[in-house]
Amino acid sequence: MLHALVSPGRGWDGRTAANSLSRHEGVGGAGSVAAELCVRRAAYAWGRGSCLCRRCAAPLFLHSPAPHPASALALVDVLLKAVGDTPIMKTKKWSVERTRTIQGLVDFIKKFLKLVASEQLFIYVNQSFAPSPDQEVGTLYECFGSDGKLVLHYCKSQAWG
Amino acid sequence: MTDDKDVLRDVWFGRIPTCFTLYQDEITEREAEPYYLLLPRISYLTLVTDKVKKHFQKVMRQEDVTEIWFEYEGTPLKWHFPIGLLFDLHASNTALPWNITVHFKNFPEKDLLHCTSKDVIEAHFMACVKEADALKHKSQVINEMQKKDHKQLWMGLQNDHYHLIPGSNLEIPANLPASPNNKFDQFWAINRKLMEYPPEDSGFRYIPFRIYQVTTERPFIQKLFRPVATNGQLNTLGDLLKEVYPAAITPEDGEKKNQVMVHGIEPMLETPVQWLSEHMSYPDNFLHISIIPQPTD
Repeated sequence: MLHALVSPGRGWDGRTAANSLSRHEGVGGAGSVAAELCVRRAAYAWGRGSCLCRRCAAPLFLHSPAPHPASALALVDVLLKAVGDTPIMKTKKWSVERTRTIQGLVDFIKKFLKLVASEQLFIYVNQSFAPSPDQEVGTLYECFGSDGKLVLHYCKSQAWG
Repeated sequence: MTDDKDVLRDVWFGRIPTCFTLYQDEITEREAEPYYLLLPRISYLTLVTDKVKKHFQKVMRQEDVTEIWFEYEGTPLKWHFPIGLLFDLHASNTALPWNITVHFKNFPEKDLLHCTSKDVIEAHFMACVKEADALKHKSQVINEMQKKDHKQLWMGLQNDHYHLIPGSNLEIPANLPASPNNKFDQFWAINRKLMEYPPEDSGFRYIPFRIYQVTTERPFIQKLFRPVATNGQLNTLGDLLKEVYPAAITPEDGEKKNQVMVHGIEPMLETPVQWLSEHMSYPDNFLHISIIPQPTD
């Protein structure tokens, strides 16, 4: 089950939003398709300035700055893997907007894992390099994705230098 | 070809005459004189401007000096882009010297990354080198190297010693190109390994490149691109653009709207990208290509 990358905001916390999305779960195949369509429709709608996903009442703040054209809101699948004694995320597979930056992803993981903002979090591609915080997930996916997803390792300390 | 080594040297020793002026709203105790410096194209702003910072700090109160940042005609300059790329992208068709404004206040969080120490620059530089090798060699070459080899690449970028011209604040590099123990040799002793490829192949697996344009929203274009076509022919710069950014190429009977610039020159579109990658990459092993408007004069 792929979840949208949810930024808590306007009174919603990650748990509430995740629970809202999970209302689509457990309903079998149709439920997960509905949820995914919900995510993608909302993603597309955000480009027009409004969120359509009111049925599950989960506000999908995919991008806080000005809306991007719809094509830029295309989602890529990201698999997040913990390294060392870094807490493991319960949900590992995420649909992330192409234009989300590594910094944006770091902020999201920190909130999700309830880490303090000042704590460092390092992200690695191919277990070999740490991309720049302003790198876009979409570009990394195109260059380093495999089997339809981008695998990213995250760690509280420097793992691969 | 001996000419090819000359290209490596020309790229390495490229400099941009720059005039640094303190932003008028910065609080100073007395008038701040502009500071002139020849910036290495291949380096990074925050790595080569210690003297600039010291110069302006002399006329400011200690408490007013926070993180330095640079701006050109209202655009904050990203220190993590190589200097040559910044110049080509923003100012290549303007009169020299390059006029950069220095700020110590109101750091633009949305536009710039923080650079709190040289370690941050080193980490960024090495990450780029590693990313480039991930594309070229599936990281095999960089991973086989020892930590000291990685360090040697970084040390090659460290400031050469500069001579101050007496009676001015103008500096020129002291290292002469002919000197055998200079940073160029130190760097390329290791970097040449990153430029090799198996004899059975005609080039790298993929070419590390980024295409920049000031007018677009996206930071840069970076995609997978093979140096050799399926028929065995070497792909050219023109082939690269056709594939990833066709709008940059002038149509047959059309007017030339853009310049495709690397290190201040427009390579011929017939140039094989494998050759460009080996000879005109920056020290981070990436080809940083700027698409800028054709000057009208």
